[in-house]
Amino acid sequence: MALFGRRNVLLAMLLVAAAAPSFLNAYYVFVANTILIYVLLAIGLNILVGNTGQLAFANAAMFGIGAYGTGLLQVHFGWPFWLAFPSGAVIATAVGLAISLPALRLSGLYLALSTLAFAQFTQWVFLNWEAVTFGAGGFKTPTISFAPLPISKPMGLYYLSLILVIVLFVLAQNLVRSRIGRAFVAVRDSEIAAQSLGVDLLRYKALAFGISGFYAGIAGGLYSAMLNFVSPEGYDLFQMVIQKAMIVVGGLGSIAGSVLGASALVSILELLRKVKGFQEIVFGAILVGFILFMPGGIIGFLKAKVRGWEEPLHRARPGKRSTSAAATSESSEVRP
Amino acid sequence: MILLTYLLLSGLTTGSLYALIALGIVVVNKATGVINFAHGELFMFSGFVAWMLHVQMGVPYLPSLLVAVAFGFVLGALTNLIAFRPLKNANIVSLVLATIGIAFMLRGAARVIWGGKGDYLPFPPITSPEPVMIGEIMVIPQQLAVLAGAIVIMAAFAAFFRLTRAGKMMQATADNAKAATLVGIRIDRIYMLSFGTGAAIAAAAAVLMAPLTLLYPDMGFAFFIKGFAAAVLGGLTSLPGAVLGGISIGIIEALAGGYIHSSFIEVSAFIVIMFVLVVRPTGLLGFNGLRRV
Repeated sequence: MALFGRRNVLLAMLLVAAAAPSFLNAYYVFVANTILIYVLLAIGLNILVGNTGQLAFANAAMFGIGAYGTGLLQVHFGWPFWLAFPSGAVIATAVGLAISLPALRLSGLYLALSTLAFAQFTQWVFLNWEAVTFGAGGFKTPTISFAPLPISKPMGLYYLSLILVIVLFVLAQNLVRSRIGRAFVAVRDSEIAAQSLGVDLLRYKALAFGISGFYAGIAGGLYSAMLNFVSPEGYDLFQMVIQKAMIVVGGLGSIAGSVLGASALVSILELLRKVKGFQEIVFGAILVGFILFMPGGIIGFLKAKVRGWEEPLHRARPGKRSTSAAATSESSEVRP
Repeated sequence: MILLTYLLLSGLTTGSLYALIALGIVVVNKATGVINFAHGELFMFSGFVAWMLHVQMGVPYLPSLLVAVAFGFVLGALTNLIAFRPLKNANIVSLVLATIGIAFMLRGAARVIWGGKGDYLPFPPITSPEPVMIGEIMVIPQQLAVLAGAIVIMAAFAAFFRLTRAGKMMQATADNAKAATLVGIRIDRIYMLSFGTGAAIAAAAAVLMAPLTLLYPDMGFAFFIKGFAAAVLGGLTSLPGAVLGGISIGIIEALAGGYIHSSFIEVSAFIVIMFVLVVRPTGLLGFNGLRRV
């Protein structure tokens, strides 16, 4: 195994993440926690867009539904966070499943429009259903406590996020390698071929939407707890584009790529947070640049250039050298 | 009765603007099979260019309009060069994301050049702002000017598309790109022309609309999604469908705002579009291209 191989690098990232709060100040812990939350969002979105090939724009809305669900259940019904948080994720999952119903009939650009319309509708509900959502001003959520454990709220939340990221990362990694993951890729590459192989389009599309909704809902619940505040602004279209940029930069259809993309883009976003105009220009440029010059994303680059990242079947056997062409062909997506 | 006619007229006016935006989207989609997600930002950016000329430099309205249209054409052609031509063989996800990237660059540039979030720039009206009563109907002259302008632009575009050599080449490419190549049409140029023409129509719409509302960097997306909805309502590849879809959406919005609640203006179009897509996925005048397996 190469020194900078996939397993070593991911393990090193995990160790740094686990130790981070002990040597970072409060602001950087906040940024690190934001990265963890976006990793969840990127993994969910990547399964839907990268693996299953559904051009959906509703992820930011489901992120918002998770955050609003978690926050509002606490505020209106006085539920404890530990009950409201999973419920928020369940609501987001249910919404994800519901919007997959039109997705069965629509594909490509029509799906893009219907999910965009849904996202705008959600945003409108957040803004205008003031009796429940408190309108444009948003609302404060109660500060959660990790009462029996002797840790502060930011630390507790950070480690809660980290544990969820690890669990959901492993889950996603196993999922995409399973029968279900292969069915997703079959749906992406050709719906007709997938159907003729006995892949039930309704079931797998709904599953992909449900999974991305679940990941977004978990992320939304954590986000509302981290900020102690929920307002419509955080779940708008810019949010959606940030998440899309993450999976493009990381690598479409790669779970490890989602982690890398989310980490890279949150860092850039924090560096540029002073001027929104420059933030947008840099974001757009990164998105276009990666699509044009590195269509496989960071993960595609690593697979092609760094030993220990290539696909298992392309790994050079002892005594034989694999051609670089074979290694790169995997990084470019298979098209219908 | 006065309310109804007023709502219908203002719906027709905004609807004609949506129709122009939808027309640009359809022109690009017909030729290339792609939706240019930067279309709204091309619209916004050209509007700001006209504002800069007209308000800041004192150029008269009509020359500003023409310069903005030319500028829009160039921006559209550039979008084609950056985000479409190198990606012609890529999948639809990459193509859409590349145009979204362009959209964000333009929006950021507009914010840096012309002000921050929430800066609304007024554009002086080109006619008197006083409403006029024609019989029982209350009319704002600016609306009539916008409506007339929109009709002129649509007519000019229809003439260009049907009568000129370039327009016929565009039709041929839209029909069958391979056959068009075989008869000697340089389809890369046609793609560029389509992107440019679409953006030029958007630019004209922006300059027409500017005196009616205000300009702000985030306006592009709001108008794009209405135009996209209008285009889908009309079937995405039908030019008369785009006009019909735009006007329907304008009128639905105006009626929902007038009779239900003003907050419904923003959302009624999306409710309609979700419903239409579920019931009739190919739009009202769409080509019935559902594939049976």
